[in-house]
Amino acid sequence: MRIFIILFSAILINNFVLSRFLGICSFLGVSKKTETAFGMGLAVTFVMALASIISYVVYHFILVPLDIKYLYTVAFILVIAALVQFVEMVIQKTSPALYKALGIYLPLITTNCAVLAVAVINMNENYNFIESIANGVGAALGYFLAIVLLAGIRERIDNNESMPLALKGFPISLITAGLMSIAFLGFQGLIK
Amino acid sequence: MKENLKPGAILLIVTAIAGCLLGWAYSITKEPIAQQAIKANNEAMREILPMADQFNKLDAAIPDGSIVKEVNEGKKGNDVVGYAIKVTPKGYGGMIEMMVGISTDGKVSGIKILSHSETPGLGANAPSKEFSGQYKDKAINPPLEVVKGTASKPNQIQAITGATITSKAVTKGVNEAINFYTSNLKGGSK
Amino acid sequence: MKVALERLKNGIFKENPIFVQVLAMCPTLAVTTSATNGIGMGLATTAVLVASNIAISIIRKLIPSKIRIPAYIVVIASFVTLIQFLLQGFVPGLYKSLGIFIPLIVVNCVILGRAEAYASKNGVFASMFDGLGMGLGFALSLTILGTIRELLGTGKVFGFQVMPMSYKPAIIMILAPGAFFTLGILMALINLYRIKNAKDGEAPKLVEPGCAGCGLCGKCDSK
Repeated sequence: MRIFIILFSAILINNFVLSRFLGICSFLGVSKKTETAFGMGLAVTFVMALASIISYVVYHFILVPLDIKYLYTVAFILVIAALVQFVEMVIQKTSPALYKALGIYLPLITTNCAVLAVAVINMNENYNFIESIANGVGAALGYFLAIVLLAGIRERIDNNESMPLALKGFPISLITAGLMSIAFLGFQGLIK
Repeated sequence: MKENLKPGAILLIVTAIAGCLLGWAYSITKEPIAQQAIKANNEAMREILPMADQFNKLDAAIPDGSIVKEVNEGKKGNDVVGYAIKVTPKGYGGMIEMMVGISTDGKVSGIKILSHSETPGLGANAPSKEFSGQYKDKAINPPLEVVKGTASKPNQIQAITGATITSKAVTKGVNEAINFYTSNLKGGSK
Repeated sequence: MKVALERLKNGIFKENPIFVQVLAMCPTLAVTTSATNGIGMGLATTAVLVASNIAISIIRKLIPSKIRIPAYIVVIASFVTLIQFLLQGFVPGLYKSLGIFIPLIVVNCVILGRAEAYASKNGVFASMFDGLGMGLGFALSLTILGTIRELLGTGKVFGFQVMPMSYKPAIIMILAPGAFFTLGILMALINLYRIKNAKDGEAPKLVEPGCAGCGLCGKCDSK
């Protein structure tokens, strides 16, 4: 039960992008087309789930026994950077089709703060192994949902001729995101 | 492979140096950080149990998985006048760390929220006097409950507008502290 | 000295990391719930930026280009951890209110971007002022956003009541949506200014989320 609460609250209630402001750079940068947003969302989901697993292992089996918990920032970012590199290499060798779909997005993910954040949140909240994965997957699905929705809306409004030039592009995307964020506030009532 | 060795070694050296420097910095800042935590703790205890003039941390047996984290007894002279119990209920944005004061005459003498990550403007108002102050002088029986709108019974707490989850979490923390007091501390350890 | 001034001006105005380069949107939106938080986050980032620019400029000739990004990340992460210790030990209030966004300074595009674009190519002195200028530009922008949101959302600025008591605070401004709206409207105003000042017959340059300034984001352009 607790697992589902963590999962759903990460997707809808504490949506990473719209209520915690994590992963905003790529959320606004890679959301021009639904197609690319889909690819980015998929890549992030993949890396985030892996990152929650590996950062859990690093934290509980390396940092805690050695009593160097305070080095977590350095350790997590290195692990994530290495993980992204590794995933890129493996995918390239094993599945050219998947590489074609995800390859260009992978290098963008190292600096996606959402991935580092999920590792830090798992640590701060003292989640156990399964809960960490649930939180990682939930956060990633939340990101996926938000970026695909925004891309869908942007595709429709970007070609709108009657929109004032000053609002075109970035400003209207921000305002759209704000309206989406209000809608997501409504999910608060889901947990009692 | 060989041409990868040198950059690898350099990266290792950079990381090792950084690690060592941080270890050193950690050993220096550890003391002030611990001091800050103790200071915040002491201030909180003094605030919620104003009648006590001395606090001792108790080695109470806290069951696994309980949100009770720390138990302190407050003494005035040689008499135990109350307990300051640290609890960490789960709020909307994460763990809420708070101290609950319970006096030996069976009242909540006050609560103090030490840290939280609730929504600014809503749940983040929990430490305010308007909300946290409600707990002062509540009887420990029956258990406290949260209501939306005005509280009409003595054991009711008025929720923060738009932050029912936070209000419930804080109240749960207080109730758990009370439970711990009634089952483990009351009457004993004079 | 001339370089120093030029760098400061460049960071604060000409290439302001938020309003001109449009980088580091996460902390910009997340921590600007009050002017105090904005300035605190801005100064913490400035400290990391100055320190990492100096360190990277010193070691720039020792680092093979193949591993420069991981090496920079290690340097930056170390300084971030250091700042975290200092805040925790000496400014615990700010440490608590910035929360998870302190470790996330590591992935702030501005810092890695400056390391890659400036500190890895220039001397220590110039790099230091480059970091200071960029950092102050960042801090200033966050403070502006924080002030607007705090004023509309609570009627206060830096915790002091500014609006008349009869003003009913629009709480939404300090909630998540308010962050998007405030930044969106500011960006539209910048666009408006640019359109007004565009030379005849020339298309005005509109604000776009920046990726070019960041070492790891470089591949954004390929799409």
